[in-house]
Amino acid sequence: MANMRRMSQRSVFSRELMHRLSSMPLAITLLTVLALASVIGTVLQQNQAQQDYLQQFGPLWYWVFRSLGLFDMYHTWWFLVLLGFLMVSLSFCLWRNVPRMLKEMRSHKVYISERAFSHIKQQRRWLVSADSAEHIADKLKQALKEWQWRQEERDGVLYLRADRGNRHKWGYIIVHSAILVILVGGWISVQFGLRGDMAVVEGSSENEISYLKGTHTEYKTMPFDVRCNSFEINFYPNGMPSEFRSNLTIIDHGKEVLTSDIIVNKPLYYKGVRIYQASFGDGGSHVKLKLFDLQGDRPPRIIDTQVYQTYKDDISGFSFEITDFRPHNVENMAAAGQPKDFQDLGPSVDFVIRGNGLKPVKMRSFLQPLEIDGENRGSIMMISTTGDKRDFQSIGLGLDLTNPKEWALYHAFISRLQRLKLEGKNARRMAFKSAMEEVFGDQRPKNFQQMAVRVINGVQALPQLPWAVLPVLDDYDQKYYTGLQLAKDPGMNVVWAGSALLVWGLCIMLYISHRKLWFIIRPQDGQWRVEMAGISNRNPLNFNREFHTLLSRAEQATAHNPSKGVDE
Amino acid sequence: MSMTQSMAAASPWFQGKPAFVRFWAYIGLMLGATGLALWGGDGYSEDSYIFQLTSMQGVLWLGTGLLLGAALAAIASVAKAEWGESPLAERLVSWGDGAVLMIAMMALFTLFEPSASALSYEDQSNLFSIKLIMAMNVLFLFSAICYILMLFAPESFVARMATGTAWMGVYVGGSMLLLRWYESYLFMDGSIGHAPVSNLYEVFMLLFCITVIVYLQWEKRYQAQAMGAFVMALVAAGVFFEIWLGSIGQADIKPLVPALQSYWMKIHVPLNFVGYGSFAVACGAGMAYLTRQWLEQRNPAMKVLKVFPSLEQLDQLAYKSVAVGFPAFTLATILGAAWAAEAWGGYWSWDPKETWALIVWLVYGAYLHVRISHGWQGRTLAWWTVSGFLVTVFCFLGVNMYLSGLHSYGRLS
Repeated sequence: MANMRRMSQRSVFSRELMHRLSSMPLAITLLTVLALASVIGTVLQQNQAQQDYLQQFGPLWYWVFRSLGLFDMYHTWWFLVLLGFLMVSLSFCLWRNVPRMLKEMRSHKVYISERAFSHIKQQRRWLVSADSAEHIADKLKQALKEWQWRQEERDGVLYLRADRGNRHKWGYIIVHSAILVILVGGWISVQFGLRGDMAVVEGSSENEISYLKGTHTEYKTMPFDVRCNSFEINFYPNGMPSEFRSNLTIIDHGKEVLTSDIIVNKPLYYKGVRIYQASFGDGGSHVKLKLFDLQGDRPPRIIDTQVYQTYKDDISGFSFEITDFRPHNVENMAAAGQPKDFQDLGPSVDFVIRGNGLKPVKMRSFLQPLEIDGENRGSIMMISTTGDKRDFQSIGLGLDLTNPKEWALYHAFISRLQRLKLEGKNARRMAFKSAMEEVFGDQRPKNFQQMAVRVINGVQALPQLPWAVLPVLDDYDQKYYTGLQLAKDPGMNVVWAGSALLVWGLCIMLYISHRKLWFIIRPQDGQWRVEMAGISNRNPLNFNREFHTLLSRAEQATAHNPSKGVDE
Repeated sequence: MSMTQSMAAASPWFQGKPAFVRFWAYIGLMLGATGLALWGGDGYSEDSYIFQLTSMQGVLWLGTGLLLGAALAAIASVAKAEWGESPLAERLVSWGDGAVLMIAMMALFTLFEPSASALSYEDQSNLFSIKLIMAMNVLFLFSAICYILMLFAPESFVARMATGTAWMGVYVGGSMLLLRWYESYLFMDGSIGHAPVSNLYEVFMLLFCITVIVYLQWEKRYQAQAMGAFVMALVAAGVFFEIWLGSIGQADIKPLVPALQSYWMKIHVPLNFVGYGSFAVACGAGMAYLTRQWLEQRNPAMKVLKVFPSLEQLDQLAYKSVAVGFPAFTLATILGAAWAAEAWGGYWSWDPKETWALIVWLVYGAYLHVRISHGWQGRTLAWWTVSGFLVTVFCFLGVNMYLSGLHSYGRLS
């Protein structure tokens, strides 16, 4: 007996638990918590570099957020537990309600009590002359053929019931199962899927992907190699990129199996893995920089280095960490408020210059001098003292450093100025004249006026610079890397199946309404009294109208004379 | 979607056999266009498809489809009279008429476009669509004012003006969007042509049109004109925002970034806005509900109340709007996931836009849940539609303006 009681207690407990788990308040609470938790992840940027978080929040909050997993929130155990809870709740809800719904859809009670009938809002009655109630019933069934009919006789009264859209409960079942299917698909994706990044330099191949797990990066070797044959960027005429295109070759066990182009929105598919064009960057371009000696007498030297490498110049004591190379720099050259005027400033190289106790500074040096309206305005350079690209400020150097003669003129001029140590207009002019004779002799080059202006500007600008040497981009051999994303997602098709079910179920649920009609036919004064009533489980506005159409069809079918009608 | 309801009601073209035949003629037309795309002589190219349609070959395909559809429908309706009585055809045929009218208006407007030498990508202020945008703004603002005045003067000229200008705004707006699509091909030798759903400014105008269309359907069917004051007030607020966007230089037609170069854009974005627009109408109905209830509590004999639909009706209309918007929004989100799977390497990345779309989905999903399965209605749900719309607005605008992520092309630049 005691055992029995414990059993029943346990079953009461489990029933209660099931009831709780599948109850509406729990479902609504879960959805609310899920929604609120999701908001955190949108406000707090996910998967950024840890230093950035530390800088942004300070050590205390960084530690708090980090221990809650907020920097990779959607993969924390507590978020997954929430989703799991939702799945459990949904499953119990289905478990509890599906048998009842199926039963309801199968059984249709035909008999309706007077009381229940009188509560229905839409109803009418009228009198019909006919041989038998059966006869009237047949006529009604004939008139409303698209309805499902059932009938029952009780105490000499004929009850008819007609149904339409009684399958609408499948809508609930399908929608809830669909959400479950989607969640399962998502779980399969996370559990058995794979998603990582791979950077492949032009001309080389790679087989390792990297991905974030929590806050640290992990690596995985793919069963095949990807070689990037080329990467190119195409541009619209206004300088916006129009296309990123990589030409890839898949190498499987040393054999080239497939070569294809990929662009954004058109991935490559190989052995269940999709390869997407995700990003790009410099793949270690070779660059040559010309070092101009600003303080000494040395002629310009050429140094040969590569992006991502640091060149240490022993002569001047400066080092250059090359960080990026860009083949195009399209900028809007129009003044504020003027129509836009896009112009390509040409190739540039970014580097950080360090040494001689000076603060490290980020620089961008261009291959070509600046040209405005066809006029050479001399070389320019961008400098960011904070090291952030957004703080780049453009500095005009005055001189066109690509022209060796111009540099020679500048150098001759400035060394004379220093030697003379004289002030005054005349002395400067004499110095310039003598410098010019040294460089050009008697033959003045074309556009000499402009060059003179540039040299004089250079004399103003260059000595202001704190560095002993000035590196200027001289030549390059560009090489990109293409940033690929590789993904394998066995759960995807499950998700699509669930999605299709979801939309289908929603349409059934929202657009099919279950409408029921009752007819009660009983004898009255040698005639038959027909009572008709109808309800719909939703959309009463439309049903009111539909009921009136149905009524007139029913009345016509039973050849009812309107003058004898008794309105409710 | 006819311009005047009275015409639709009176004309035999919109009922019975003529409606049935015309409906199938439109279906045939669409099948013809599809056939051309699939099996046409020069193959399908998205950018030249419009020219294929207007070429001899296109006219043949479209004409054959149209005539076949009409002929088969005519035969069917003669062979069996009851087939000709199709409520679905009667309801949908005016949508076909509306679409044809919009396309015709757009074709007409192309004649007013400045000559090729006068056009410049840098300065787009002389495009004809700019004038149409202004006309649309004025029409919607005027309509909003009329709808509000109408509350105090129903049965008047103002009431007819309100509905009339709303319809005109829809047609001007719709044909303007089509024209803008055409205009995008006028720059840079057609290399930047794309559907006008690629930035915040363009989708705003799409949103107005969809919202007003959804609302006007309810007005046509359920005589809920007072609700228009609330829906059109929302639209008017949107119009001001759109004017502001234009004033800070967001109105230009710009090339598509590589991530947006996909046919998915044309499907995913408009479908999403069917969702947003319907939720806006639901919010309008909810506001009307709350206003009516508040007025009733203060003074049940107020004259204004006679104009309002009943509380039950407003409750129903809010639900109907959600019932239109929710499946569209669901499908749009799913198709967005399909696009993401194709472009970003995963169907769900917990990007802020995706996450907020999920939140919006949960809000309206919960609305339907408590309503359908638990029979809630009335005041609580009216508040629900209003606050749900606030969440929607954040998903639409707030995410673009305040949060960064993969959907950043919707951002103000």
